[in-house]
Amino acid sequence: MTERRGIVSKRGPQPTASYPHANIQGDLVWVTAQAGRDPVNGELVTGGLEGQLDRAISNLAAILEDCGSSLDRVIKTMVMVVGEPDVEAIDALFERRFPQPPARTVFGVAFLAAEPGHETVRVQLDCLAVAG
Amino acid sequence: MKDEDAITIDKAPVPRGPYVHARKHGGLVYVTGQIGRDAKTGEFVKGGFEAEFNQAIDNLEAILRAAGSSLDRVVRAQIEFVDEKDLDAMNRIYGERFHEPLPARTSFGAAFLWKGAKVQIDCVASVD
Repeated sequence: MTERRGIVSKRGPQPTASYPHANIQGDLVWVTAQAGRDPVNGELVTGGLEGQLDRAISNLAAILEDCGSSLDRVIKTMVMVVGEPDVEAIDALFERRFPQPPARTVFGVAFLAAEPGHETVRVQLDCLAVAG
Repeated sequence: MKDEDAITIDKAPVPRGPYVHARKHGGLVYVTGQIGRDAKTGEFVKGGFEAEFNQAIDNLEAILRAAGSSLDRVVRAQIEFVDEKDLDAMNRIYGERFHEPLPARTSFGAAFLWKGAKVQIDCVASVD
């Protein structure tokens, strides 16, 4: 088994429990699901599902870059949405943010793990990408 | 990433958005979640959960074939379904369609799936 290493990026919202931002093994990066939190203060951004997803993708991008990867090297992503997924909004953002379309699984969940706050975490996404 | 590693075919419902049916990397193929839509019409198949799940697996199989893989080479499958009552039917159909050596599997109830789909399945499989 090749060496595996956990990455905590300075540019993603800091992990709040026992997990890194990502794990690198071989030439693959497995990234922890990201929510729409500001990386500096950890607060959820405004703008509902779209605002949160846009920010979450930016967090993924920052983490991927710190792992020697990037959004255009994402193989697969999993998108979890609270409430009925607004697929048109998700597609519009994917079109803008992912230069190379990845394989994708989207589904609605009952709730997402998040600290209590005045705004609800509406969406999170993780990914698997090629590094190096 | 090489363009030839991105797979999109016409024997599964065409992607409705900016994603591909599958991507290959490092001896594995990662397939987008498939639902019970007919590949030709794009409409959900009639016949409830069982028909939808069989169609979703048909779609997955068509994509795997195009990638140089097959259902019997699936390493891991993930199934989301919206109604707990469909659990037994899900297990039965899965058992009819997947054979030894069976993949690792994660299945769970989802709150919603696209446009009222009852079930969705994705997978990772080996390729040559």
